[in-house]
Amino acid sequence: MKKLLSAPALFIWASVLLIVGILLAFWYSPIDASSMGFSQKIFYYHVPIASAAFVAFGVAFVAAIAYLRTQDLKWDRLGYVGVRIGLLFSILVMATGMIWGKAAWGVWWAWEPRLTTYLLACFLYAAYWVLRSVVDEEDRRATYAAVFAIIAFIDVPITFFATRFLPEGLHPVVVGPGGGGMEGSIAVSFAICMVGMLLLMAAIIRRDYEIELIRDRVTDLKTSLGG
Amino acid sequence: MTIEEGVKYVAAAYAIILAVLVIYYVMSARRVATLQRDVQLLEDEAKRLKAPAGEAGAE
Repeated sequence: MKKLLSAPALFIWASVLLIVGILLAFWYSPIDASSMGFSQKIFYYHVPIASAAFVAFGVAFVAAIAYLRTQDLKWDRLGYVGVRIGLLFSILVMATGMIWGKAAWGVWWAWEPRLTTYLLACFLYAAYWVLRSVVDEEDRRATYAAVFAIIAFIDVPITFFATRFLPEGLHPVVVGPGGGGMEGSIAVSFAICMVGMLLLMAAIIRRDYEIELIRDRVTDLKTSLGG
Repeated sequence: MTIEEGVKYVAAAYAIILAVLVIYYVMSARRVATLQRDVQLLEDEAKRLKAPAGEAGAE
């Protein structure tokens, strides 16, 4: 079981699912009949990447609470990795979203609720990084970062529900009440891509967390050797 | 939007995803290699310092 959940195993599972999902998206799922047409194919990775980013920020949120409760620096490392991977996926969401926006709406960017709140989340989590870099003392940095990660996470549900509470925006509701309505073959391809992307996010988080632990080991060894 | 018009946007989006993930993977792999080398060097150094003086001298 432990081997099945190791980073390399998760990478393999994620790769297989993402390749199968995208092949199905292009050759099994029909081309969207609305004005989006072929550009709707971006949806199969764009939405799972956005979901993975939210989950990664959720990992950082849970790790922040765990750190404040236990003061164990391992949680700080997990939180740091969660934010880093959340930002990585957010960059991909913004980039693919802008391309899709240009294709579907004719503009690269629109100041509408979903996009604006997502951009705000990106800025907040970028600020988390800046905060970490300006505090030198280890425990103080971890505490400030944990508090900031909890505050920043408030924007995540706001972003998620923005399209539901403010439906006048351009961005459609994709999954859940009032949205979706996906045809069977589209839903199958989408579900496979979603599971694959979440596994990829888990694999990268797991691997990067292990890297952070190795970095701590290097720091400990340097300290014990007196330099 | 025709398929021909849509293809360039779809290709660009997937190319960006692939490029960013590959770049991140390569950077990550380099970071791991550097850290593992550092750990190895530091562990060797720690062992050398812990070794008895006579043994160290004989070497």
